[in-house]
Amino acid sequence: MNRFGLADLGIGIGLRTTHFGEILAGEPAVDWFEVLSENFTDTGGRPLHVLDRVAERYPVALHGVSLSIGSTDPLDRAYLRKLKTLAGRTRARWVSDHLCWTGVLGKNTHDLLPLPYDEATLRHVARRVKQVQDELERPLVLENPSTYLAFARSTMPEWEFLARLCDDSGCGLLLDVNNIYVSGFNHGFDPRQYVDAIPADRVVQVHLAGHTNHGTHILDTHDGPAIEAVWDLYARLCARTGPVSTLFEWDASIPPLADVLAEAEKARPLRSAASATGT
Amino acid sequence: MAPELALGGLQQWLQAVIVHPGAVEEALAARPAASLVPPGRTDRVVLPSARLTAPERVGVYQGMYLARMREALESDYPGLARFLGLAGWERLVTAYVQSHPSRSHTLNVLGRHLPDFVRTALVRRPAFCRDLARLEWAVTEVFDAPETPPLTEAALAAVAPGDWERARLVPVAALRLVVLEHDAGAHLDALREGRRRPPVRRRRSRVVVYRRNYAVFRREQTAAAFALLEELGKGLTVGQALARAVGSHGARLGADEAFRLFHDWAAMGLFQAIELAPPTGARARARRSPTPGRRRRMSAVDQRPAEMR
Repeated sequence: MNRFGLADLGIGIGLRTTHFGEILAGEPAVDWFEVLSENFTDTGGRPLHVLDRVAERYPVALHGVSLSIGSTDPLDRAYLRKLKTLAGRTRARWVSDHLCWTGVLGKNTHDLLPLPYDEATLRHVARRVKQVQDELERPLVLENPSTYLAFARSTMPEWEFLARLCDDSGCGLLLDVNNIYVSGFNHGFDPRQYVDAIPADRVVQVHLAGHTNHGTHILDTHDGPAIEAVWDLYARLCARTGPVSTLFEWDASIPPLADVLAEAEKARPLRSAASATGT
Repeated sequence: MAPELALGGLQQWLQAVIVHPGAVEEALAARPAASLVPPGRTDRVVLPSARLTAPERVGVYQGMYLARMREALESDYPGLARFLGLAGWERLVTAYVQSHPSRSHTLNVLGRHLPDFVRTALVRRPAFCRDLARLEWAVTEVFDAPETPPLTEAALAAVAPGDWERARLVPVAALRLVVLEHDAGAHLDALREGRRRPPVRRRRSRVVVYRRNYAVFRREQTAAAFALLEELGKGLTVGQALARAVGSHGARLGADEAFRLFHDWAAMGLFQAIELAPPTGARARARRSPTPGRRRRMSAVDQRPAEMR
């Protein structure tokens, strides 16, 4: 159990438009759904209608991509208010976003851009996390992004930055095991070292996904099953955290719902093994 | 110098490179990026990896930016993307996001300026492209509009015949009226049905885009019906709207025809409420209510239709 008392929801998947019909028509055997916040903050049509029906039947967590917690632009208060309203409407178990920035000078690239990991950035991000938590009136859960470049001015590895950010701001962690693998390949670190160094009691949720290896670098494409090395990292993490809310992301070349659920279910025995070993 | 850039400067530099439409080398050498980090010093800011140089690593992000913008805009403008073809669509998106970069937390509104932009863009058949874009943006707006329960037939029937003239029909939020000079709807029909796109044809049409049970529909209207709907949408009473619509179009629109339209539109879910304007003149004195001047409102969820009688 994490230190926030946020329950282990089991195995979940992302709520995607292509599956709306199947989800409404039946009772898919999935423990919970993760919802991409920005897909629902500004619509009053079918997506919100479907989300309401889903939230009546399943636990829901909100996952955002536009908080831009690391940006030097002011926080978008209007966005935060919409996020808070959506969290209340869906009785979201938690609200997460990414350790990144998405734009400056009022623009939004809609990409999860990397931050330099140094003392000044740590102070900057910790201050903004506290402001967001005050606005949302709940702990913010932050995800480690996949990154494709590293800054010369960084003075600490990402796992140390995240651990210190948790201490300084009180935030929780959404640990994306695939992103750890991707960044490990792109930056040349051992992903096992990352998993071993993460404060386990801060981990509220885990992400799993597929990626695309271009030889020179790996892109986090969410377009297929996870590779064995990522499952191994997941098992290693579960041995430290115990069973933790786990979500399989599939956002491109999305197959039928049954296939996504089957891939997500691969996590169940690994979670059980962690439970059996008493973690 | 580059290594001493504060976080804000570093972010401005990286963003300027990422959104630049040219090759990454051009982006690094162009202002404002080059004024923040001299092009030859990229590796003083970004570390090379074992397999990629510093500029190549920045290029990974730069390549994904335009691909993401194209994907987002294509979800709102599938017909326009198909009409222009891959190369034409890429050129349009590249130019558009330079002029109208996203400034919102959501990509839902990225395309709102495209119908006006495409009119002056370097595309083939720009007037047709504008019509197609306007129709597709109307569909997007209707898809995302707030849900407002539509007026029921019972609510319409509850209006006394003598009150129709001063009745205001309040449109639902998920309704747009579009006048087109080209047959853009035929292109969207062909796309939806997987058929070859038809030739571009000039034809004036007046289209109502609306939502019913969370599905978006398009339906053409006659000139008189469209004019009446436009006037009602401005908040005019039925009597005022009929007079304006007939006056401006010289259209014949009798009472029977108007009532048939009201019932058709109610069945389509175009209205959410009927409001009664205060009576005026001698008729008002004869019918004065206990609370003069107060507008009464009845919506689809009103449980007290008897109050309207």
